[in-house]
Amino acid sequence: MIGERTERREDARLTSGRGRYLADHDVPGLAHVAILRSTSAHAVIRGIDVSGATALPGVIAVVTQADLDRAGARPMTHRLPLLGVLPLEWGLLARDRARFVGEPIAAVVAATRSIAEDAMELIVIDEEQLPAVVDPFVALAPGAPLLYSEWGTNEFFRMTSLPPVLGDVLATAPYVKQFRLTDHRIAALPLEGHGVQAAPDPATGTLHVYASNQQPHQLRTVIAETCGLDEQSVRVVAPDMGGGFGNKQHFTREECLTAMLALITGRPVRWIQDRTEGLISSIHSREQVHDVTVGYDDSGKVLAYRVDVTANVGNPILYFSGIGPAIVTVGALEGGYDFGVVGFDLRCVATNTCPIGAYRGFGQPQAHFSSERTLDAIAVDLGLDPIDVRRRNLLPDGPRPWITGGGARIDVGPLGPHLDALVTEFGYGRWRDLQSEARADGRLVGIGVSALVQGTAPTQYGVAGRFGSYESAAVAVLPDGRVTVAVGTKSQGQGHETTLAQVAADVFGVGVDRVTVTDGDTAQLPYGMGTWGSRTAVMAGGAVLRAATQLREKMDRIAAGMQTASAEPPTFSEIAEEAWWQTHRLPADEEPGLQQTVVYTPGNTMPVPDEHGHMNFDETFAAHMTAVAVEVDPETGDVRVLDAVLVSDCGVVINPMVVEGQHQGGFAQGLGAVLFEEVRYDDDGQPLTSTLVDYTIPEAPDVPRLRVVQRETPSAVAGGFRGVGEASIIATPAVIAGAVADALAPLGVEITSTRLHAHYLRRAIRAAGYTPDASAFASR
Amino acid sequence: MKPAPFDYVRCANVPEAIAALSGDEGAKVIAGGQSLVPLMAMRLARPTLLVDVNDVGLDGITVERDVIRIGACTRHRRLERDPVIARVAPLLQEAAGLIGYPAIRTRGTIGGSLVHADPVAELPTVLVAAGGFVVVRSGAGTRVIAAVDLFTGFLDTTLEHDEIVEDVLLPVAGTRHGSSFCEWSPREGDFATAGVALAIERDDDGRCVALGAAACGLASVPLDCSTLLAAVLGETSASGALLRQIARVMRADLAGDPDRADLVGLLAARAVHRAFARSDERSAAAA
Repeated sequence: MIGERTERREDARLTSGRGRYLADHDVPGLAHVAILRSTSAHAVIRGIDVSGATALPGVIAVVTQADLDRAGARPMTHRLPLLGVLPLEWGLLARDRARFVGEPIAAVVAATRSIAEDAMELIVIDEEQLPAVVDPFVALAPGAPLLYSEWGTNEFFRMTSLPPVLGDVLATAPYVKQFRLTDHRIAALPLEGHGVQAAPDPATGTLHVYASNQQPHQLRTVIAETCGLDEQSVRVVAPDMGGGFGNKQHFTREECLTAMLALITGRPVRWIQDRTEGLISSIHSREQVHDVTVGYDDSGKVLAYRVDVTANVGNPILYFSGIGPAIVTVGALEGGYDFGVVGFDLRCVATNTCPIGAYRGFGQPQAHFSSERTLDAIAVDLGLDPIDVRRRNLLPDGPRPWITGGGARIDVGPLGPHLDALVTEFGYGRWRDLQSEARADGRLVGIGVSALVQGTAPTQYGVAGRFGSYESAAVAVLPDGRVTVAVGTKSQGQGHETTLAQVAADVFGVGVDRVTVTDGDTAQLPYGMGTWGSRTAVMAGGAVLRAATQLREKMDRIAAGMQTASAEPPTFSEIAEEAWWQTHRLPADEEPGLQQTVVYTPGNTMPVPDEHGHMNFDETFAAHMTAVAVEVDPETGDVRVLDAVLVSDCGVVINPMVVEGQHQGGFAQGLGAVLFEEVRYDDDGQPLTSTLVDYTIPEAPDVPRLRVVQRETPSAVAGGFRGVGEASIIATPAVIAGAVADALAPLGVEITSTRLHAHYLRRAIRAAGYTPDASAFASR
Repeated sequence: MKPAPFDYVRCANVPEAIAALSGDEGAKVIAGGQSLVPLMAMRLARPTLLVDVNDVGLDGITVERDVIRIGACTRHRRLERDPVIARVAPLLQEAAGLIGYPAIRTRGTIGGSLVHADPVAELPTVLVAAGGFVVVRSGAGTRVIAAVDLFTGFLDTTLEHDEIVEDVLLPVAGTRHGSSFCEWSPREGDFATAGVALAIERDDDGRCVALGAAACGLASVPLDCSTLLAAVLGETSASGALLRQIARVMRADLAGDPDRADLVGLLAARAVHRAFARSDERSAAAA
């Protein structure tokens, strides 16, 4: 039932080796794909000699873009419905130019993956190296190597919103600060990498695709387009998934390529991404530089806020590309604050690096990092408490929805009480006392706070063309009284088989064990939007709620007319039997059976300007307040989290345990992002983090428990739900940075980057003139 | 991430293994495989033949008066948990427990780690600090190689292609012995960014009379730091002044990346502090 800590029903399968992931779908005659990738960051491909590879025993096909052209493959494009994006189409393989290390150049289909990899080594590429550019500012400078010479620039996209009054307010503000903030590049790294398996069905002429993808219906659309098939000729099934995190949100070259390889060879083929492919070529995220100008008064109230965003989008050959998250960044600059006049100048810059794209949080962590660093800087400058500075800038507690200048309809509950709850639950005053004691002791303890208002369940029409704000659900009550639910979203491990079952069970008043939830199969529903953008509880939850409610009402009508032997009302199962098997007894205007398909939208979003010029991208908003205390070891740079509390208001909570899990997981990823992970390249565009020895993610001992305090302000959408999946990954980098900055303030170290890894902090601490104390260190 | 094609032979004894190695220039010995197999999967190592020595009888621990003899195939996990090792080679015991994770330690072997010669690995550093030896055998017979003569560079040793490590020899710790392996890595179980292995012996008056130390993370081989730490000789305790001096000297005198030199200095100070503390405990227990 809604609100209960129902144990996750999928876990019995997923934790005992009975899950079926992409690689668990062997079929007779299955062939295996290996993809030859560019080892050059930038090169002209003059020729590809595949003769040696083709001759290797066990090799079925070696395919280049020329072969794909002959087979009728069509180019991909970013599908951005934006003015001013430079034109860009790309093949499923590089045709005559490689623009990042890891770009696919040729594919081998063989009896085994080992043979395919042996054959890959026999492919000879005749290429001419070109100068590469890795840094976006270098890429923008005159004379920089151009990725696409026809553009005449590497500036793929620019979007500016600088209200004329912005300059005036900044000029007259009592205080003005300018600083540069940097968000470094990371990778989402789902535990199960990408994978796809495609098999042509000779009987029907259709193509059956398994893909570890968050949006199977849209993948079907893109595969149909690139392979030249009708949409109904492609069935996509997303099986059990070991994570997605946005990394499996894009529709990739590899997914379409594998489909084409099945068509070309006429047999089932499978490609499983290996970890190095995952790290160098499967979508990076976050890399942005923010040049912030903020004007404020002596109470700490922000009067004007300008952020010039330079977003490295890599080689942007990706559906919606890195522009998508970058646009979300500039749309989320204020978050839950009123910053007076806000402006931005966004430049999306192509470089010879892996494409930048989605990762849980999708542009919002960068916006939040900047707003929180800015408020902390104001607090330090004016000698104010960072909590007070946030209070002065938070949106007023009413009215709701609060309609921003741009038209966002922010429907969160009152923010002040959430902040009060944070102060109490975290023990803010006590932590400040402990901090004073620690400082007197020479220890570096710091406290960070963050106040996040996050748009959830968005329409991404504006940044992805086809990502509308609706969801499909088909609910049926079978003759034996069992309930089936099919949805167009796709669980990647979030527990949807439990939470969506709770929603249906709640409506029907039956046990959760009577409800079976399935997802990820395009054969089940005409269309669906998949899982991303903190949307499933709101969108699929709402769709299930609607469909189940309509069925429940029908069952009540049928029950009213039923004759039972006893005086007892008919049972749930008896009504179901009646609806399916005693149809002659149903009321005259009642259709037989119990099944209902709903395509649901809350209807709050508007991705293009309305008559007032307003746009609202989110169906509903959620509020999350976070505080952490950390201690930094000045000798090693290690950051230890002493306490972490998150006050969560995601509306009506379907399952508190699942919400806690979402927050704990996002906390782990957010912590990993700033303390351990970084995608690095050398100046020539060679990746330096191509294995998990170099790309270090947090492990169990590195992630403390996040204390979650749940508060419920129901939203006005169906069920009163709000999205929750991305909150803690957005908040965590900002709040950890705030705490580290606070800890290091006595040493004069300033934190202006998300790079809080021990080795960076160590260098910053030394650069600030701190001399390590070997004696103290030795006895610790 | 599949290895290039290779052959495999599982040998029953050392002569068989040596014969297999001699017969194929591309052959490579495999025991625990914890370093070799990942390198093969990435095709950075491409042996044509794997010579499996797990069954040749090279595991075991024997104490011979003042020398401890450890069979090359002895697993890290045994070094970590064996009470004899804890008593006679506590530095080795501590270092073994810092290698990777339990699954890695259960498979990985001391001989394998030494001949793999990763400059940030724990066991080569211990061998240098402790002044140990390896006993190697080929068709021509056996020879003994001192630690400082074994390591020549990144993943490189003075072993000939057809030589197999049979045993590792380490000195038995004295009654007032104290040791410590201190390392820093971003995460538990990672290869160390920097580390220091240190062992001291003290006389009846508590004076440090012998010292061996080595650092990893600074060079392509474990670096012998005994001379840099000479200030510890003659000391009866790890005073704050001594520890600060150690860190200062090492930071100033060590070549290479200054950040790592800085860490090595700090870790050396910590190792000295702990070695004296452990020596005190050992002396008290012996008394």
